[in-house]
This record gives sequence, structure tokens and C-alpha cells, in this order.
Amino acid sequence: MKRIALMFLLLPFQVVPDDLNTNLTATQQELYQGIIQEVRCLVCQNQSIAESNAELAKDLREEIFQQVEQGRNEAQVKSYLQERYGDFVLYEPSFKQSTYFLWLSPILILILILGWLRKIGVF
Amino acid sequence: MKRLLPIAIFLGLFILLARSLFVPQMDLPSPLIGKQIPSFSLNELGKSSTVTHQDLLGDIALINIWATWCVGCEIEHDFLVELSLDQDLDIPIIGINWKDRDDLATRWLIQKGNPYSKILSDPIGNTAIDFGVYGAPETFLIDDQGIIHYKHIGPMDRQNFEQDILPRIVALRK
Repeated sequence: MKRIALMFLLLPFQVVPDDLNTNLTATQQELYQGIIQEVRCLVCQNQSIAESNAELAKDLREEIFQQVEQGRNEAQVKSYLQERYGDFVLYEPSFKQSTYFLWLSPILILILILGWLRKIGVF
Repeated sequence: MKRLLPIAIFLGLFILLARSLFVPQMDLPSPLIGKQIPSFSLNELGKSSTVTHQDLLGDIALINIWATWCVGCEIEHDFLVELSLDQDLDIPIIGINWKDRDDLATRWLIQKGNPYSKILSDPIGNTAIDFGVYGAPETFLIDDQGIIHYKHIGPMDRQNFEQDILPRIVALRK
């Protein structure tokens, strides 16, 4: 039992990326950290590139770092990645024709549930 | 009948979700299909001359991204050599050596044969990022204007080449 508890205690330990550079301003640092957590590592698809130690993830972190350093904003960096790797690279897909259903389905389901509740006479 | 509705919805969702469990997620659609190859300027492997994206125009060609550290590339290599020797097909294969060492790459080609008409070296991997590469080997089919028509991820073999790439080459040549 203790061992199992210990296993769970160890889980939250995060891999610290090796490239925590400091020549960014505080805002840029924050922007950089924010972006890399929202970009999927395509080699290891259930990790963000912030968490992954794959070579490609390192390269992409480096690329994003440089772009942030050059003063590009979040939208610019994300569209840079999207143009090359497609929607899948971002954890949060953009709102467009092929993703309408994805974004709007929760609202649709909510309406259906409300309709159903009304029908069975909850209100 | 009314009671069946939730069950029908459940089953519908179940099938929808279960299906995506079994569809392989490896091959992601590339946003580069139908677009011009990215611009680059790279050294030719083991030489001091540079090659740019414009040097690749004029021929229907395959661009193959490979490395000596890549297991899939080793599997694919013999087939690439076979393709390069196919006189009827006669299609140039341009290699981009990705995040590799020139000496290792040169030795690999001496040992295993060189299927490439040109080999560019991308040691840092910047050009690979512009090509949206995430797992070598990857192969792009481009036309004589440099438009990307198809991207194959993973090792090519006779079967997937004849199924996915060859018909496209034939169509482009018409």
C-alpha cells in the first residue's frame, strides 16, 4: 500500500526543459512558456513540446524561443506552426469550417438536454 | 420506443468514439499539399556548394528526408536504391539529410548505395521544420513547378509506392 502511495506521489514531478533561457523579458518568458505548453509534440502525440524530450520538440522550442525573442506574438508563432504541421499541432484547434462541429457540439448537446428536461417536465 | 432513444444515442456515440480508437493516427494530413516547397538554402552533402529551392524546379521529383540515426530510413533504403535504378520510372530523388553528420551520411551512402540525384544537408533541422517534418523518413512528391502533391510518412516500399505515389506521378506526367 505504501509503495502504491509513493508511486502516486512521484507522478506530479515534471520534466524541466533544458532550455530555460533568460535573455527574454518577463512577458516574453511567459509568452514562450505559454506557447510551448499548447503545442503538441508530433513524435509523442500525448505530450506538449514543453514536456517532451524528443529532438523535434527541442528544435521547435528553440524555434519558438527565437521567434518570441524577435518580438513575434502568440498568433504569429501559432500560425507559423500551423502552416507547417497543420491544426493537429495545436492543442486548441482554431475555429473554422472543419472545426465548427467540434466547437459547437457542446452547445448543441446543452440545447438537446434542456429540451429533454423540459419535455419530461423539470421546468 | 421512447426508451430506445437514449440507447440509440449511446450506441451512436459509442460507435463514433470506438471507431476513432482503431483509425491509425500516425499519418497527419500535411497543410503543405498543393503549396510551393518552402524556400531554403542548404549545403550539398560533403561539398561547399549551396542548393536553393529554386534549383529543384524543372522536374517532377521526390524529396526524401532521411538520417543515419533513423531506423525507418534503413528499412526504406534498399527500395530507394531500387527506385533510382528504375529506368522506366526515371524520377530524380532529392535527399535532405536531417540532423545528421556529413561523415556518417557519406559512409552510409558508400556502404548501402546512393539513390539520390542531389543530397542537401540540414544539420540544424530548420528546413525540416519548414517542410513540417516530424518523423523520418518522409517523402514529398513535387511537380516541375515545385508544388507539393503528396507526402508519405514512414518507410516507402513497393506496395505503398505503387498504391499512393506512382499513380500521382503518372497523372502529373500526362
